[in-house]
Amino acid sequence: MNRAISAIVKKDMWEITANRQLLLMIVIVPLVLTLVVPSIFLLSAHFAPQEMEELQELMGMLPEEMQNVETEELMVRLLMNHILPLFFLIIPIMAASVMAASSFVGEKEQSTLETLLYSPLTVRQLFHAKVLASFLFSMLVSGIAFLGMILVLGVEMYALTGVMLIPGISWILVLALLSPAVSLIAITLIVRGSAKAQSVMEAQQKAAFLILPVVFLIAGQFLGVMLLSVWILAGLSAVLAVLAWVLLRTSLAKFSGEMLLGNR
Amino acid sequence: MYAVEMNHLSKIYTGGKTAVADMSLMLEQGEVFGFLGPNGAGKTTTVKVLNGMLQSSEGKCMVFGEDPAREPEKVHAVSGVMTEHAQMYNHLTGLQNLIFYGAMFGIGEEESRKRARELLKQLELADAAGQKLSAYSTGMRQRLSIARALMHRPKILFLDEPTSGLDPESAYNVNQMILALAKEQGMTVFLCTHQLRYAQEICTRYGLIDEGKLLTVGTLEELRDGVSSGMSVQIRADRVPDALEDALRKRAVSDRCRNTEQTAGIREFTFEAASEEEIPHIVSQIVESGGKVYHVSASRPSLEDIYFALTAERRQQ
Ligand SMILES: Nc1ncnc2c1ncn2[C@@H]1O[C@H](COP(=O)(O)OP(=O)(O)OP(=O)(O)O)[C@@H](O)[C@H]1O
Ligand SMILES: [Mg+2]
Repeated sequence: MNRAISAIVKKDMWEITANRQLLLMIVIVPLVLTLVVPSIFLLSAHFAPQEMEELQELMGMLPEEMQNVETEELMVRLLMNHILPLFFLIIPIMAASVMAASSFVGEKEQSTLETLLYSPLTVRQLFHAKVLASFLFSMLVSGIAFLGMILVLGVEMYALTGVMLIPGISWILVLALLSPAVSLIAITLIVRGSAKAQSVMEAQQKAAFLILPVVFLIAGQFLGVMLLSVWILAGLSAVLAVLAWVLLRTSLAKFSGEMLLGNR
Repeated sequence: MYAVEMNHLSKIYTGGKTAVADMSLMLEQGEVFGFLGPNGAGKTTTVKVLNGMLQSSEGKCMVFGEDPAREPEKVHAVSGVMTEHAQMYNHLTGLQNLIFYGAMFGIGEEESRKRARELLKQLELADAAGQKLSAYSTGMRQRLSIARALMHRPKILFLDEPTSGLDPESAYNVNQMILALAKEQGMTVFLCTHQLRYAQEICTRYGLIDEGKLLTVGTLEELRDGVSSGMSVQIRADRVPDALEDALRKRAVSDRCRNTEQTAGIREFTFEAASEEEIPHIVSQIVESGGKVYHVSASRPSLEDIYFALTAERRQQ
């Protein structure tokens, strides 16, 4: 059984990397979010800090003990630990939904679902294998994006100011709890949203509509929260994780129902 | 234990269409069962119900003692299924596909590779092993599907139209392979097909289904006895005396054979003779009245004759 599940995970990963268009999207979005935009910010904070007035306001809201560092460093910290984590979440959401659409709807599109169903795996095991594939892929992409970001921004920061960049505690939450949770939510939403979709394209378009509001909602809500306290962030992460779990359980029922739907 | 056991099995689709109606049928292990019937008769539906892809509406069925409605995965462990809707991955090569499905059945990579190579060779796909499936022709895909269904060495093989897209040579090879599997390994085969000539070569028993109902089940001999007792004689001649022609027409094996062909007075008909003795008698009757006989052949009714006779009988009812 484990052999079968790992075969599915490997096959799904292979499949997505074989698709040029999807691969391009999966590479470019993290590149822009974690490298291009932050680098631009870093450079403008260094060379033209006075132009970033809006940030000055935000900085005023930061806890007292953070106020007594230099403006530039403060700005960078604000970016690094309070703003970037939010935008970073788009990466696991994007990776998970692209992968889930290709993994779930792709089987239907290629008429390979029935063949999979003739295997000695239960529908539940198949579902788990498929979710696992999307989840691992999303975590892999997020992990690589994070490491790349730390490396490049760290070097840039050191070169510009001589200060070492150390990611704050919020990153631990984002990587360990929030990213997995939003990945799972994205996967389950795709499974639900794509129940009737016949092509990967259609599922992805639907997925984009499902996920964009989620992103904005999270972003809007969190921007304030992040500035307040890591604990609130932790609480919210936990809530999302629970939500992901519940969605996962209910999607299984949906998945098994839908499997047979085309045949009934 | 029976290989397949169906007890008053019915399947009504959600739209209200009855695809399988009150079917009861037992298959012994090692049988090569030919499941025959016109388009829309319910053959594919039966295969799907037997493999748990569809839930039966009424009745019960078992495959090697496992209930597909409750634990389909246990049925899948012993059954290999090939249908046109069960495709494989286009971006993987033939070999990669087989190894993937081997893994789905818990077979290790090395063993999978070995079995896959063997099957590819048997199905004459060895040269295409490294090609992506997207570059396969219809017939190649079909043969690869057969290989896929055999990867885990199932006890029962369900084949839905395995040879319909194959060229005559490949079809012949596939049939010989199925025959060998049944003979040498005792594999049970459930074969849905329209290709009656091939079916006649490999099947040990037949079931005829129409509109979801099982019309008859039996060996070729049993089916023959059901439709006719004698031989089927085919004659092509001209200037057949009217009285004789009328008499012969009445004894036609089926509707289809009653259609006489008329090119420049030459007629062809197939009728049933009680025994061989009758044949020279009829021929001399034609010759004596000045007719020319171009062709005479006698045979026991083929599966095709029986099929037409039975479906015609049904249509009359
Ligand atoms: N998903 C479905 N929903 C509703 N009716 C269906 C469905 N699939 C098949 N049917 C109907 O059930 C009947 C039996 O179909 P089935 O596919 O079992 O026939 P078959 O014997 O395999 O035919 P063929 O020789 O053409 O393959 C047909 O009348 C068909 O229209
Ligand atoms: Mg069919």
